[in-house]
Amino acid sequence: MLSRQLIFVLIALSVAIPLVIKIGLPNQVTTEVRNVYESIEQLDSGSVMMISFDHEASSLPEVKPMAQAILRHCFQKKLKVITLALMAEGTAIGEQLLRETANEYQANYGEDYVFLGYRPQAQSAILGMGEEIKRVFPQDYNNTSLDRIPMMKDIKNYNEVKLIISVADGDLPVTWVDYAVSRYHPKFACATTAVMATSFYPFLSSGQMVGLLGGLKGAAEYEILLEKPGMGQKGMDAQSVSHLVIVLIIVWGNVVYFLRRKTSTVDSPRSTAKPL
Amino acid sequence: MNIETLIATFLTLCIFSFLYKDNPFYKFAEHLLVGISVGYVLVMAVNTTLMPKLVNPVFKQGELGYIIPGILGIFMLLRFFPRYTWLSRISIALIIGAGAGVAIPATIQARLFSQMQASMKDFASIDGIIIFLGIASTLAYFFFSKEHKGWFGATAKMGTWFLMIFFGATFGYTVMSRISLLIGRMQFLLGDFLHIIK
Amino acid sequence: MQRIIPIIVCFIFGAFMLVQFFVPHRVSVSAYQTVLDWMQIIFVFTLLVGVISYVKLSSKKITRTQSGWGYNLIGLAGLVVMVIFGFWKGTGERTPFLWMFNTIQAPMQSTMFSLLAFFVASAAYRGFRARSWEAGLLLLVAVIVMLGRVPLGSFISHWIPDSANWILNTPSMAAKRGLYIGIGLGTISTSLRIILGIERTYLGKK
Repeated sequence: MLSRQLIFVLIALSVAIPLVIKIGLPNQVTTEVRNVYESIEQLDSGSVMMISFDHEASSLPEVKPMAQAILRHCFQKKLKVITLALMAEGTAIGEQLLRETANEYQANYGEDYVFLGYRPQAQSAILGMGEEIKRVFPQDYNNTSLDRIPMMKDIKNYNEVKLIISVADGDLPVTWVDYAVSRYHPKFACATTAVMATSFYPFLSSGQMVGLLGGLKGAAEYEILLEKPGMGQKGMDAQSVSHLVIVLIIVWGNVVYFLRRKTSTVDSPRSTAKPL
Repeated sequence: MNIETLIATFLTLCIFSFLYKDNPFYKFAEHLLVGISVGYVLVMAVNTTLMPKLVNPVFKQGELGYIIPGILGIFMLLRFFPRYTWLSRISIALIIGAGAGVAIPATIQARLFSQMQASMKDFASIDGIIIFLGIASTLAYFFFSKEHKGWFGATAKMGTWFLMIFFGATFGYTVMSRISLLIGRMQFLLGDFLHIIK
Repeated sequence: MQRIIPIIVCFIFGAFMLVQFFVPHRVSVSAYQTVLDWMQIIFVFTLLVGVISYVKLSSKKITRTQSGWGYNLIGLAGLVVMVIFGFWKGTGERTPFLWMFNTIQAPMQSTMFSLLAFFVASAAYRGFRARSWEAGLLLLVAVIVMLGRVPLGSFISHWIPDSANWILNTPSMAAKRGLYIGIGLGTISTSLRIILGIERTYLGKK
């Protein structure tokens, strides 16, 4: 039997060693990620995109690489980016990341991008923006009236937004689908933590979402398409090795289980356990 | 090395110390995190929502209509005074009622029509048939008004297989997610703190 | 009266928001936007209720010097410092509030969740056993997805990522779609019950 402590050490080493000693396994790009990339790539320069930071700080190592890759693509394509947060902690993270990435591409606040800030009660905020963004966010995060922001002059609601992306760690993308996509029909995609990814596949096949980035792997794939290595690709070796270690741990657990059951069946003929 | 990295490293190790066992360092970090997180939410809620949506419209722009949600909001705070707790139910009723009202058409469109339409789309293919069987059997599994016996029981049983596949896939992704978070923290410890990696 | 008024409020606002969907007239849209504004404002106060509850609970423990009161003091001190910084210097670039968030809150919170990597592995070793066909199926799918979604999977064989893709897009998706449709039906019936005043659990006890 493996002790709890030994499993912890194995996991720590399986993550740490590949970070130090690079293996460089080639990464494959999935259709879901490519679709997000293509949706942005097809937009003309000056098109408006909306990115919502719908996550907490707890998922920072997963969501930050995805958000960074998407923002880089947006600024590279010279799109106008409206950002907001529907979770409180997404506000500080989103605002800083936006500022850093915008500086990389010399984008100007108010002309190329804007940060609207945080709104609680996602349901009403999403519905409200479908009618009038200025009504939901009368001011941006810096308390500047939206009427005084040049970029927002001709933007009323989702009609002017070519693509919405929710960077999320929970089920807020479902709220976007329920209230924005079904009622106002904007194009929508999400960049979500891997733990939530399986929940959104029904929306991909129904076309309610155009694409999906799932966790650090999603970020790594996007970085490949963008040809700009970042935080996602750096972690992929560690991700591979640690997954292999967990699979081996599970296999070993089952081997021990079946060996013990075999012994106990021999010892105790009354065992009623059903074999696999 | 800057002070920020030192503090963040100390607190990171405090939390990792829980892997050994519960201890005062972990408890210290845990309580500090809760306190700071609550403070963060309070500041954000007041600065980014209460001020621009309530205080400024009422006191700076003279839009007195906003006094009504303001009063309803104050009703929420009356939960702490047993005699007036019932008033907070009015505010809750408004949010729940309005939420239920918008949820009905949204759900019909987003969850029922769109999802059913998508299921019919590829019905002629093998995958389409598998998807149809998966949906029907999963729904059968959660239908408790009819006893799970005979053909219906067999359908419900098939639903459990599809659910197991879904849970298995979700478990796989959960592992991926948690490992990604650990990678992030390891990158911080090995990079920012120890400078072993770039 | 203490229960009737909330039920009437719930009915009026619920019925209006439902009907408004089918009547996109200028006046109804304006009223609809007003209700959405109200929802956001009231919701902020619910967050304040949470904050006050936390302060009350912690203060009680501290004043009564109950066991672990020192930790509650630390929590309360963290809250007070954050609030002072936030209201005094704001939340923008190079503020003490943001410094606290970046140096203390964000690293601790992501570390807290990264602990789960260890516990998931440990729990998988102890509990992930092929005790039945269903459990075996779950285990097999988990292993395929775990390997198929990382570069190692395609390095071993292209069958692994291909299988993972098929699982995610076909049987797993079908099960989740079934769940969504079921939840959708449940949401509709519960919403109707709430609007019509049949479902009253949100009112709490008398």
